[in-house]
Parts: sequence; structure tokens; C-alpha cells
Amino acid sequence: MTTTASVNTGDGRRTGAPVVSFENVSKNYGTVRAVSDLSLDLYPGETVALLGPNGAGKSSTLDLLLGLRNPDAGRVEIFGTTPQQAILQGRVGAMLQTGGLMEEVKVREIVKLACDLHPKAFPVEQVLEAADLTGIADRMVNKLSGGQEQRVRFAMATAGANDLIVLDEPTTGMDVSARQAFWGVMREQTRQGRTVLFATHYLEEADAIADRVIVLRGGKLLADGSAAEIKAKAGARRIVFDLDQPVGEGALRELPFLSSLEVSGRTVRIQSHDADATVHALYGLGLYPRNLEVAGLGLEQAFLAINDAATAEEAAK
Amino acid sequence: MKTLITLEITRTLRNKKFMFFSILYPALLFLLIAGGASEKELVKGTNLTLPLLMMVSMASFGAITAVLVGNSERIAKEREKGWVRQLRLTALPGRGYVAAKVASAAVVSLPSILVVFAVAVAVKNVRLDAWQWGALTGSIWAGSIVFAALGVALGYLVSGDAVRPVTMIVYFALSMLGGLWMPTTTFPDWLQSVAKWTPTYAYAALGHSIEGGDAPHLKDVGLLLAYLVVFAGCAAWLYRKDTRKA
Repeated sequence: MTTTASVNTGDGRRTGAPVVSFENVSKNYGTVRAVSDLSLDLYPGETVALLGPNGAGKSSTLDLLLGLRNPDAGRVEIFGTTPQQAILQGRVGAMLQTGGLMEEVKVREIVKLACDLHPKAFPVEQVLEAADLTGIADRMVNKLSGGQEQRVRFAMATAGANDLIVLDEPTTGMDVSARQAFWGVMREQTRQGRTVLFATHYLEEADAIADRVIVLRGGKLLADGSAAEIKAKAGARRIVFDLDQPVGEGALRELPFLSSLEVSGRTVRIQSHDADATVHALYGLGLYPRNLEVAGLGLEQAFLAINDAATAEEAAK
Repeated sequence: MKTLITLEITRTLRNKKFMFFSILYPALLFLLIAGGASEKELVKGTNLTLPLLMMVSMASFGAITAVLVGNSERIAKEREKGWVRQLRLTALPGRGYVAAKVASAAVVSLPSILVVFAVAVAVKNVRLDAWQWGALTGSIWAGSIVFAALGVALGYLVSGDAVRPVTMIVYFALSMLGGLWMPTTTFPDWLQSVAKWTPTYAYAALGHSIEGGDAPHLKDVGLLLAYLVVFAGCAAWLYRKDTRKA
């Protein structure tokens, strides 16, 4: 079984030269392999979510992408040039979790700095407005809350007309309304043809916003496709039911199209590639499921399923 | 880049504690050391009185305080907080950050030099020609760039909690060894010959030559330039190295 879903969204948007190109990129920190032979291309106008458990290599991948670190092997290109060059040309805006802010300055001053440094800058007031900072523009940066700081980072990342926007866990520390407002602004950016790549812990964000999802694990590409494809790959449906009396797991394992099975007491939880056939076979076993529920998997469950499958596969080796 | 320099200067000026300390401390130290000294008697081995000698030493010391201590600590802190990373994601060239740091340091060092001069004139009746005042201010101010570069290098070399003690050791060692706190002529012979090769000694010697009515010695200027090349080279190398592990 191959662990990498093929990429083919077939929506015709993958035309032209890639915006970002990773070619067999590897990066080690001492003996730890953070990124392992990663190859991937991003195309203009895509909104791409980067998912993976902690330590999957998301931040390292973004660091390599932005030229903050150099790969040990392979090649990273943005718009056909080096990341450093692309940044100097003002084509890349980035918001990092680890990006600090200057202290002892006002919000407006630091945003103005970002605008002045950007070769294709927007007016300061417009950037402040878009990041919802107008009301706190005269506040000192070191007196801000975590969510407000995030908005300042966001303003710095969108100070000019970038063609690629890279966001590392952008909504961490934001409340629900701030998060919604944030993605509202990002949608506006993609509508203008910009490419957006974001790493996130909130899978519902990836599900709702990204038109392409990349899953990393142990620095390797585990899955790459639309959210729907990832869900399909993981086992499309979840079946939950109760039984009148406990049944041995062995019997249930015989069911067709299973991708996972969990029995706790009388409750059985199944993930299936073909829920109809599985349920049909269930009756065929002479069982009588009660409180039967069949539902689609959320991206989060799909993600966990893919991840578990990869873990099991590694363990089997 | 101009905005960054302006912003660095603005925030330095906003840091009142640091300004106050950097500007007044050398002047107070001058009063402490030279306050009771004779205004006529020459210091052994020199053609200058103690107040004259200490005025230049303390002006130099003040400039070093401003550019060395301030820079290294700030840079180390900003590296740790990720501000340097953030700046790397802008179109700012690498030298822009260093230039802004040196410029903001110069804003603090100039008043600290002038305050020492003012105290020396008011309290110890130091009198010099107009050209000497101009040349002293210019050479001490310009010479402080050497130590600003050292500050940048230290800020990149050492991180976190270690930066303050390391900077202090370098700062006190150089200040004492270079004769900024007491004339090197009071040192034993072997120490005097070591002291002559320190950047701080060469730095103060610029001012002492001017006070004596001469142009600065070529040897001192050359030595300072050599140190500038070494320190700035280290700073640039460490900055690039930091790119790989930042």
C-alpha cells in the first residue's frame, strides 16, 4: 500500500509555472531527520493547508520554504528563484509563530516599518484596517494580548502585494470572531489570485478554507489532495451502533471495506470505505444493530485515520 | 531602511532609564576619579594633567557603554524573541539591521561624550582650542563604531542569559586594560605593553593626542581600523551563520 495519495484535483487551476517548488528536499538537525526527501509544487491561486502532528516537520518545511534555513539536500524555489531573492523582490509575505515583534514601539510604527520595507507596499492605514488594528494603532507593541500580537504579525505579512502568503498557525490565540474575520481577509487575498499556504492545528479551518491539503508525518509527505480526497482516502464513513449483547471482535473483522474497528462494551465504531456494503454485511452476520448512525468523516477524523494507518504500517515493518 | 533607523533611534530615546544611565554614568565617574586631582600637575609619563586625561578616557568610556552594552544585549534579546527572523522575512538587506543598531547607538553615545566635556569644563576648568573640541568629539564619536561592531558580534555570538555577563566581562576588561579608568602608566611594565594593543587604548589615545595638540598617531588609527575589520567581519559572519540556525 502506498501512503501518498495522488494529486489530481482536475480543476484546471494547476497551469503555469509553480509558485513554490520543493525538489527532494531533506533537512537534518543532528541525528533528527526533520524533513525527508520532500517533493511538492504549489500553483498560483491555491489555498493550501499544511497538516501534521507535532514534530511532523511543518515548521521546518516553512523555514526551508522561506530561506530561514538551508536544506541539506535538494532544492527549494519560489517563483523560480531562491527564497531569499523572492523575499527581496517583495513577492512573499510570511507570518511565523516564532516571529517576534520589536518592543518599545507603537503598533502603527511597526506596521509602517513593514510597509516601508515592502517594494510593493499598500498604504499603512489600509493595512491597519485590514488587520483590525486601527483601534489600537497607538498602543505599544509590548502591551498587546496574544491575539492582538497575532494581528500585528498578520499586518506585517500583508503589508504589500505579495504573490505568496505563508502562515504558520495564524489563528492561534485568536478568539472565534477574530478567527472568522482573519479568514475573511485571507479569502479576499486568494480571490485576487494570491497563493496561500498555511500550517494549522485547527482541522476544521483546513476543511473550510483550503482547496488543497498536504499532510506531513515524520518529515515525509503522507497525503496530498483536496479535503474531500483526504477524507475518501481515510475511509469515507463512520458507522456507530449498539448491540444487544457483546460480540467478539473477530466476527466483526470479517465485515467488508473496514478501515478501522473499535468495540467498547456494546458500542461498536467502524470506519468503512463503503458504508452501504458494510451495513448490509452486518445484517448478514445475523446481528441486529441498534441506534445505527452512519455519517461522513470530518477532516480531523480522516487525518487521524491516515496518521494511525501510517503508524501501524511503520510498526509492521 | 531609513524607517528602521528612525524607529531604532526613537525607541532608544524612549528608553529613559538606559539613556539616563549611559549619559550620566561616565560624567559621574569622571568627577569621582578626577574631581580632587590637580589641574596643573602632569600625570607621570604623559604631557597631560589628570583631568585632561580622564576627560577623554571617560568620554571614550561613555561612548563604549552606549554602543557596546546596549547593542549586544538588545541583539541577543531580539534574536531570542524572533524579531531578527521576522526582519529576515522582509526586503531589508542584512546590513540594514546592523546599520540601524549602530546608528541608534551613536545617538546615545554623542550626548554621553558631550556631558563629560561639559562637566570637565565646568568643574575642572579644562580649556582647549575650538579645533581640539571639534576633533575630540569627532574622533571619539567615530571611534565608537568599532565598539558598536563588537557589540553586534557579541549579540550574535552569545545568547540568552549569558550575554549580559559576557558583555560586562569584555567591557570591564577592555576599559581597565585600555587605561580608561586609570592611566596605563600606573601599570607594571609587562601589562603596559599588553595594554598598548587593546582597542580601548588606541581609542583613548586618539583623544589624548588631540589634547596634546597633535594629530592622532597613525599607529592608533591603524590599530582601530584593524579591530573594526575584525569585529565587523565577525558580526557579518555570525549574522550569516545565524541564518542557518535562526
